[in-house]
Amino acid sequence: MSEKIKRRHFLKHLTASAVAVAGTTAAGKWMGGTGEVNACIRPPGALDEKDFLATCIRCGRCGDACPNQCIHPFTEELAKTHAMHPGAAQRNTPVIFPRTQACMLCNAVESDYLLCTEACPTGALQKIEKKINVLVEQVNMGKAVVDKTLCYSFNGASCGICVHACPLEGKALTAGMWEKPLIDPDYCVGCGLCERACVRYPQAIRVVPPEISS
Amino acid sequence: MKFEIHKLQVLRRVVQILVILLLLLVPAIARYANSVAADDIDGHIEAWDGSIQGETLAGIDTVFRAFPNGEMTRPGLDTPERNRQGVIGYSRAFRGGPWSAELFGISMSDPLAALESIIASKHVARVVLISLIVPIILTVLFGRIFCSWICPMGFIFEMTDKLRKALKFLEIKTYNIRFRRDTKFSLLVVGLVSSAILSVPILGYIYPPAIFSRELHDLVFTLFDRAEAKMFGFSLVGLTWMSLILLGIIVFELLVSRRWWCRYVCPGGALYILLGAKRPMRVKLLESKCTRCVDCVVACPMGLNPMNNQMGMECDSCGECISSCDDDALKYAFDMGTAAATTMIPETVSVGK
Repeated sequence: MSEKIKRRHFLKHLTASAVAVAGTTAAGKWMGGTGEVNACIRPPGALDEKDFLATCIRCGRCGDACPNQCIHPFTEELAKTHAMHPGAAQRNTPVIFPRTQACMLCNAVESDYLLCTEACPTGALQKIEKKINVLVEQVNMGKAVVDKTLCYSFNGASCGICVHACPLEGKALTAGMWEKPLIDPDYCVGCGLCERACVRYPQAIRVVPPEISS
Repeated sequence: MKFEIHKLQVLRRVVQILVILLLLLVPAIARYANSVAADDIDGHIEAWDGSIQGETLAGIDTVFRAFPNGEMTRPGLDTPERNRQGVIGYSRAFRGGPWSAELFGISMSDPLAALESIIASKHVARVVLISLIVPIILTVLFGRIFCSWICPMGFIFEMTDKLRKALKFLEIKTYNIRFRRDTKFSLLVVGLVSSAILSVPILGYIYPPAIFSRELHDLVFTLFDRAEAKMFGFSLVGLTWMSLILLGIIVFELLVSRRWWCRYVCPGGALYILLGAKRPMRVKLLESKCTRCVDCVVACPMGLNPMNNQMGMECDSCGECISSCDDDALKYAFDMGTAAATTMIPETVSVGK
């Protein structure tokens, strides 16, 4: 191959690749690749949503590791049952729907670290030690929020189920007068066990993802 | 043409089938661990008795309990009972799929997955590098063996190739259109640059083994979800439209172009090719024994030319040419890469159909 043909070949490839990159990027933006990002509950130790989407390789190892089967792939079909919708870049990323199954902070098994954070091969979930003070400090899946118009305890009947479901009962969630749930956001890790336990439908206590709650 | 079973080919098929079986079993094992953690495993096995899901759980339970720490005896109990932490511990030995897996405590990621994650996030985490150790050492030493030994789609595409022969036998016309081999390198670069711009690892969405492992996971998980809702039996509802991409590639390879994806398009294969370009272990031709019969050229799934010792970087060391050779002229050999062996992209030879 002569130098001239080689150079022409190279330039042709370079142009084609540049066009392809531009095309893919445009298609990605058009599909909402970075634009449409819907707030959702991530497993413990997750990076900020933007960094998380960049780092996570959608391998599903955290879901395999979860001893409570609460980590699901964010697919259209699963999200639909929770009136949610994954953005194009969020497809197949790990997500928790506390209403179906909430995070038990690996309480059921013996381990030094939260199992999903230990399983993550990319650091999209940062490794978190299973000690109560470390968990309170580092886990922020979201914050529990009470809808006082729905909650039985705020409407003349005492319930208190969410308070007793809380793994940090007395700190994150305290029972007030008539078992009213009082939330301390400094302690709440967003595990969602209160939302799972709530007997009201639609749930009176819900976990709100960190990008909305903060 | 003689029919002789080559031990290495048999071993390769066994490994490939094991990988697919493991892919089906990993989500089932995860569900097993969940049931054990919830102290409900016996209830599940009993309630789901006779169904696929129940039998799978029972099978996994039997196997795990047979291991040393799987059972324990308590005073006052005649029969040994399940050691909860023991069997959950065993279940932790199997996680993930070919895209990224943890087997017996060893974390392994596809180099493409790790590279995309690093490039998209512009950050190198230590866990990523740890998960790269085993795949990179194997690839640098043995070349593209992921493609020929582990990749589940590689196996399915090989079976598609066999089906092409059956179609030929039935006198159904198939085509073998050839494309540019450097397309895969371009796709790799385009994918990585786009990942960096979009800050999202996008190649994982179109990489067939990644799609395949995600789909199988979804399928098996959905089967267990359906069992929870008392719907037993086999169902394909867990699959998404992504499966259609795989089906499309299979049909295209069957009728239009032999081994199209692996030969011309696969970005993961391209990365493995680059990593294994200087591999010491490769298929070598003994020219003194070769009778120029072209059998190996016809057999080569990658469309290379073993007869002229032109395997180059692209060869995935599958050994099909070695099996097809009647004269023992081809063999695996250690060779630190002569100029001919590491030539860039070879021209596709036109003998192989």
